[in-house]
Amino acid sequence: MTDSLLSVDRLAVHFGGRSKLFGAAAPTVKAVNDVSFKIDSQRTFGLVGESGSGKSTVARAILQLVDIHAGSIHLDGTDVTHVQRSAELGFRKRVQAVLQDPFSSLNQVHTTETIVGDPITRHRGVKPGNERRDLVGALLDLVGLGRDYLDRYPYEMSGGQRQRISIARALAVEPDLVIADEATSALDVSIQSQVINLLQDIQRERGVAFLFIAHDLEVVSHMSHEVGVMYLGYLVESGAAEAVYQAPTHPYTEMLVASIPFPNPREQAKRRLLRQSFKTAEPPSPANLPPGCPFENRCPVAMDICREEMPPTSVVHHGGVARCHLHTSGPALGGESVVEFIKSQAKGCVEV
Amino acid sequence: MTAAHSPVEAEALPDKPQSQRRRFWRRMFRNPLAVLSMLWIAFLVLSWIWPELVATKDPFKGDPTLQDIFLTPNGEYWLGTDGFGRDYFSRVIHGAGFAFQSIFIAMSIAVGIGVPLGLFSGWRGGRIDRTIMWFNDVIFSLPIVLLAFAVVIVLTPSLNSAMVGVGIAMSTRFTRLTRAVTLAEKEELYVDAARITGLSTPTILRRYIAPNLLPSLIVQFAIIAGAIILIGATLSFLGVGANLDDPDWGVMLSRSRVEFRRVGIWQIVPPAGALVLTVLSFNLLGDAIRDSLGRDKTSNALTVSKRVSITPTDRPHREDSLLSIRTMDVEFPTGGGDPVQILNGVSMAVQPGETLGVVGESGSGKSMTVLSALGLTPAPGRMTRGSVKFDGQDVTSISEREWQKIRGKDIGVIFQEPIAVLNPALKVGRQIMEPLLLHTDMDKKAARERAVELLAEVKVPDPRRRIDQYPHEFSGGMAQRVGIAMALACSPKLLIADEPTTALDVTVQGQILDLLMEIQEERGTSIVIITHDLGVIAEVADRVIVMYGGQVVEGGAVDDIFLRPRHPYTKALLDTMPQNHHGDDSPLAVIPGVVPSPTDWPAGCRFAPRCEHATDRCRDELPGLEVLAPGEVVRCHHHGELRELLASEWTEVTL
Amino acid sequence: MAKYIAFRVLATIPLLLAIAVLTFGISVAMEGRGSIAVSVCGEGATQECVTEVEAALGLDDPLPTRFVNWLGDVVQGDLGTSLSNRNQLVGDLIGERIWPTLSIVSLSLLIGISLGMFFGISAAIRPGGLLDRTLSIVAASVIAAPGFILGMLLSWWLAVRWGWFDPVGYVSMGESTSGWLKSITLPGIALALPTLAIVQRQLRSSMANALQSRYVLAARARGVRSSKLIVSHALPNAMIPTITVIGFRAAAAIGLTVAVEVVFGIRGMGELLVTSIVNRNVTVLQGGMIVVGLAVATVNLLVDISYGFLNPKVRLEK
Repeated sequence: MTDSLLSVDRLAVHFGGRSKLFGAAAPTVKAVNDVSFKIDSQRTFGLVGESGSGKSTVARAILQLVDIHAGSIHLDGTDVTHVQRSAELGFRKRVQAVLQDPFSSLNQVHTTETIVGDPITRHRGVKPGNERRDLVGALLDLVGLGRDYLDRYPYEMSGGQRQRISIARALAVEPDLVIADEATSALDVSIQSQVINLLQDIQRERGVAFLFIAHDLEVVSHMSHEVGVMYLGYLVESGAAEAVYQAPTHPYTEMLVASIPFPNPREQAKRRLLRQSFKTAEPPSPANLPPGCPFENRCPVAMDICREEMPPTSVVHHGGVARCHLHTSGPALGGESVVEFIKSQAKGCVEV
Repeated sequence: MTAAHSPVEAEALPDKPQSQRRRFWRRMFRNPLAVLSMLWIAFLVLSWIWPELVATKDPFKGDPTLQDIFLTPNGEYWLGTDGFGRDYFSRVIHGAGFAFQSIFIAMSIAVGIGVPLGLFSGWRGGRIDRTIMWFNDVIFSLPIVLLAFAVVIVLTPSLNSAMVGVGIAMSTRFTRLTRAVTLAEKEELYVDAARITGLSTPTILRRYIAPNLLPSLIVQFAIIAGAIILIGATLSFLGVGANLDDPDWGVMLSRSRVEFRRVGIWQIVPPAGALVLTVLSFNLLGDAIRDSLGRDKTSNALTVSKRVSITPTDRPHREDSLLSIRTMDVEFPTGGGDPVQILNGVSMAVQPGETLGVVGESGSGKSMTVLSALGLTPAPGRMTRGSVKFDGQDVTSISEREWQKIRGKDIGVIFQEPIAVLNPALKVGRQIMEPLLLHTDMDKKAARERAVELLAEVKVPDPRRRIDQYPHEFSGGMAQRVGIAMALACSPKLLIADEPTTALDVTVQGQILDLLMEIQEERGTSIVIITHDLGVIAEVADRVIVMYGGQVVEGGAVDDIFLRPRHPYTKALLDTMPQNHHGDDSPLAVIPGVVPSPTDWPAGCRFAPRCEHATDRCRDELPGLEVLAPGEVVRCHHHGELRELLASEWTEVTL
Repeated sequence: MAKYIAFRVLATIPLLLAIAVLTFGISVAMEGRGSIAVSVCGEGATQECVTEVEAALGLDDPLPTRFVNWLGDVVQGDLGTSLSNRNQLVGDLIGERIWPTLSIVSLSLLIGISLGMFFGISAAIRPGGLLDRTLSIVAASVIAAPGFILGMLLSWWLAVRWGWFDPVGYVSMGESTSGWLKSITLPGIALALPTLAIVQRQLRSSMANALQSRYVLAARARGVRSSKLIVSHALPNAMIPTITVIGFRAAAAIGLTVAVEVVFGIRGMGELLVTSIVNRNVTVLQGGMIVVGLAVATVNLLVDISYGFLNPKVRLEK
């Protein structure tokens, strides 16, 4: 299909909707709708969004953990939307993951040697023994833990150490793509930066590509070459990380940027004014999405059309895409950053 | 950030696996009831396998002369005799065989059907699962005795066929349990992780689900074994179980059920005693296994921490402070060893009308400080040193009753996880009205009106409708607004916000912080905000206290501390934030090492092992908390020398 | 709420149907094990008797037809005739025997649930305290003792030794209200004690969980008194799992009352069912199972409705 390592095309994942045995039908939850992006090899694509945005569901869809409703996923041009059982092992060897919660993503009853060694046995046929122990030891060195940790159980380690074990396990099969789903979110600030640096080192040394998923735009844009911003199942903006962060073209991205708490009181005072222009409203439920733009009820620059029609995607100034009527209708911005426009529209933040 | 719930659990070092197993057995053997139960069951198993070894008399042979009948215990017949003059002791011992044979048959069927069915149902999920579980629940809800009747009438009446019915009935218990555990385990991330690494389903079931299922199965096994004996005896008692001459406990009871009124209660004691003791042993064993596997749960939110003598402090309170904490120590007793000190010499104060931020990583003791200051130290923790003064009153050791008059009235508390702190069974209106009804003389009607106003003040849209809704109908952000409304209800002088935005989305976080600041401006309420996020502090606080390892390491005005930190930890924390990172390709600044554990504090400065400026002195000698100016403190041997180094690097980066 | 109740009532229909299938299945299964008629009429049965019994059971028709016919009769209240006495309608038999059973079960549930809740809450207030530990040992012992043993002990002391009650027999409400109450007191208590212990244990543990929750801590931080924390905050939540357990226990008590009735010489459903098994009188057993099934379904319905009152999430879903 393309040269990209991973290419996700118009992915949709819906949950529920089937009737219970004796009861009313549960409403369909549209967790992921029409999401497309590409990841080139040895690059990092960051996916950012808040709870309920569907970012983790995208990861689970790629990992074959949930049923895909529509769309397709290709790995190096091969269709991997629904991997057959016979091809699953080959797929798993290429795509690995580091999951969110370091306290529950490792089985408490196994030692590090087994946790990291199991995939080696499964994919590389190395039986448990000295050879496998050496391979696991080398991986532990790589993630900065060392061989002392071979015989430890997960509950004997801190959150940061467990997450390093998860990373070692993912690297054990020498994958091309590692999906990191909120891999640093549960960690303390001082530990989070250690793990982020580790992931970047690994990319440099091993050339793996990352799909890095988090709710923290600051962390995502630091980690990633490209980012995608999700809101209620839609990818509302995507493009080069620095550009999306510096000059967002979707009002929601701008809201996220303005909401990042900066450890600087003076900077923070300025950002507050911009942030306050956004409306206080509850986002709609993914089980009951409005016909128009899902962000409409919180958007400070919403127009009539936003209530009625789902905006199309359009190419914007940073070369990525945005899904916002502002670029195609009304006072069309034609792909320019939305920041100045919001400032001019919202009263009370004349100059920030 | 779980420190707020269960400080010791989160921080205490976990045991090694061997010692975990050893701890299980140690706990089992320390429990006298468990030991007695095991001994009794072992004795019965022996009686089952080799009854002649235990009881020498023939259980079937009576006294043809009918002289030795209905005897009470004596040297010849240890437990007396029945109406045929048969030796009760021998019959009771032989009865063990019937009991254990019942367990064997019924349990084989119950486990054989229940466990695989539960595994299958839970693992498959969806429609198949719902169908299986619906039928399972139908059987489950029918009385076991009735199911046994149904099987007995179809097969020939005998104890074994009754046990087939009991086994089928009991299998539904195993199906339920296995399915519930499988379903829960299936959702665990480590099962996802196993699937991602490419492990096959049988492997995952065997190596991941089964080990986690086993403990609950063993507990269930013991309890069901007791239930089987109980029902088997009931069926035999009714005459649809063992044969009329068999030395089965239920049959023996059935035989004496009329006679005992004439010849005395002893006639039912041997079989009834054996039966009750056996069932009790299985139940106690089940409980003991469960308790030995789990954590001790002996405290709850009602348990007021045990009062111990609190060492007074030499550090004076500031007269003008609203809340002032001086050199507070809090410790948690451990099983046998020394108590674990969670807080050490914590001092802080909040002035009227100011916002004080308390920042620290998990395990720093920030939430514990504030809970302890309010007399809410989670049991079994206790304050052992220090002094707390609120609004001119010494509240260090006032009674729970006195606290009840202050909490909710003069001090409002906002918690993290806003939905969890609302009672799921009560309408939010009723919960907001609660402090009003408690602390003011408002009647219900007025309190309700006030609750609507309060919801409007915290910007909950459509408050009149929402007041009659339940917590689960609120999003996290809206629930936190309700939490704030509750805390504000009686216009407190002090508002304590413990990680109020941690569980919320970042865009909602901003709005909640805005709300807090508005409240502060309009009402002049003092606020203490506890957070792990320096960004939140920068946003709302006037002054900040930085905590590390159960101690205050630095405190001062927010502007000063963010621009010119004095403590190397504060500086390092600021540097690690990606927000302060500049230049794309360079790695983030890191603090090496891990947060220390309260069971193993470093000897000297608690930050020394991770500090790039640490000297030998730092490693040996714990620095004191130095007061530089009122409200400005630092705990570092070298803060003077480092002053320029820390500050200059920082300013360079900001500008 | 009315909608929720209506929905729950409808949802019991499949449960009743399943019980009906199960009950019907008994006679089918018995045929597979040899002729019912012969086993009823005895080995040297006359052809007349066999034909009569087979006709009474409608054994000639295909299975689905037989089920539908049988179910139709059952729904109309016709449970057939007793196989041991062709003139005796099963419905009449049950109508006669159900009152003692119903009286005992109701009294036992009343005592068991109310006292169980009282002791459960008392124990939860101070976990690990003297009361809690005492109650937990007593409860464990009582749970281990079947109702019929407790019945014999009560009978020995309160009836035989002290003469407060009659050791055996049942007085119907029509004859004498006080006599009725007196005759069901001992069996009622015997059956109630395990219920009491089970409810106590469950409520104690779910109260302990509720009292450890964040919302109780939050309420305490609002200055709420301990007594109010227990009654208005913890109890409504702790009752949800307790109600489930009460439902299971009520169903079990319906089954276990059989043995208690035997101890007190009360001719209720228990004696009827046991005799029917010994005589292989399948129509009577089926009738009994239908009635018990109906009772269980009613208990389930009551449990579901109580859920609706206690748990807003459940109620608002529908």
